[in-house]
Amino acid sequence: MDNDKLEDLLRIIALCESIESSSANPFEIDIKEKLLILKHRLPELTLIGELLVDSEAMLELSQVIKLQDQYLKAKASSLYIDPLLIQLKVKLLAKQELSEAFVKSWHPIVQLDQISPRGLERAFVYWRDLQPMAERFKDEFGSYGVNPGTVGYAELVELGTFTRQQFEKDLKELYQTLMQKSNGNWIDYREFIDANSFAAKVLRAYLLAFLVSDGQASIRTEPLSGRVWVMALTEKAAGVPKSVALAVTEGA
Amino acid sequence: METADKALLERKVRKAFQVLVLQRGRNPGVKGWELKRHLGRDYKQIVEVLSEDVSPLGMEVFEVKGPDGTDDTSRFLLRFKEPPSVSEAETSGIRIDDLAVLASTIAFVNSKQGRAARREVEHFLRDKFPKWRVEYSLDRYVKRGYLEQDDRALLHIGWRTRAEVDEKTLMTMILSRGSKEVTPP
Repeated sequence: MDNDKLEDLLRIIALCESIESSSANPFEIDIKEKLLILKHRLPELTLIGELLVDSEAMLELSQVIKLQDQYLKAKASSLYIDPLLIQLKVKLLAKQELSEAFVKSWHPIVQLDQISPRGLERAFVYWRDLQPMAERFKDEFGSYGVNPGTVGYAELVELGTFTRQQFEKDLKELYQTLMQKSNGNWIDYREFIDANSFAAKVLRAYLLAFLVSDGQASIRTEPLSGRVWVMALTEKAAGVPKSVALAVTEGA
Repeated sequence: METADKALLERKVRKAFQVLVLQRGRNPGVKGWELKRHLGRDYKQIVEVLSEDVSPLGMEVFEVKGPDGTDDTSRFLLRFKEPPSVSEAETSGIRIDDLAVLASTIAFVNSKQGRAARREVEHFLRDKFPKWRVEYSLDRYVKRGYLEQDDRALLHIGWRTRAEVDEKTLMTMILSRGSKEVTPP
């Protein structure tokens, strides 16, 4: 295939695809001009492959025309508002005000949830086909290695992750930070442990677990919303501590 | 109306209520063609009667138009006639942050003519919400049908938003907040 002949066509396809995969204005493409290019190039195309590229370019142009139609309809509707104005408004409004605006325009669906024979069948098939944990990640991680488990403080010192002095210093620093941030109030656990890297985040969560076990901080969970709160304690907590498992994941 | 006709209508209205309220597939609501199968060709009139009957209970039958705009592809749902109060919404376990993310996303996507790249939406929301909440909330709302994500990672308004949210009121509320209070139409 002669690449020179197809260059214009391929450029049209790439341009249309870039418009389709973004929220850019579809009127940025001059459809008439592109159709003239296709018309001009058509007599030069003889091979089936070249004609297929031509028809693909036509298809992409028709998709852009469809987007232009949608764009005009949206702009003509009363829902169209300048994106910059919306961005500014959302930035200025408090989360409470945004949620109130949503609730006041919200009509929740009324529906009855119940177990159906179809649902039961789906659940049965799911459990029947679910691989055991040992088998599930075999393809990605292989069957070698050690299963997930717990690493104790002594082991981390032994591994050289940190020294005893460094650990105690970090622990003290984290307590001071927590004390300053919480200042007698509950603060979001996930926001508190968040750090620049995942490793730093895990370390913060690990150190915080020590503070909680030692009674220097307290954790409260909300099972319904899934939120976790933490607060520094000025006096060590008395009583029997309860164990809570908290997952620390990358990004969340 | 004759007694027999009245009895038949009442039976069909009852049937329509059952069909609308019982969960069938993954998503709530019933398509027009399915209602036609259960209630007959005049299903739209029956649905209208049902909507009037459930009105004193604060509910209504709402129609979400399908892609081709015909009655058969429309989705019919039973929904609250009036929005709940903020305290009612809060006691149902919904988080304020989550609702704020959804409200902001709907407003942003609508301002972009109904489609916006997910990357762009995430960037817009990160000014106000933590990264983990943005990603988590968007995934959840896509899963629940409030938003739709296509294979080009473009976000669109989902069928559930069309069914549950009065988008015009939402946009007006967001724009008017901070200037003066408006009441929903």
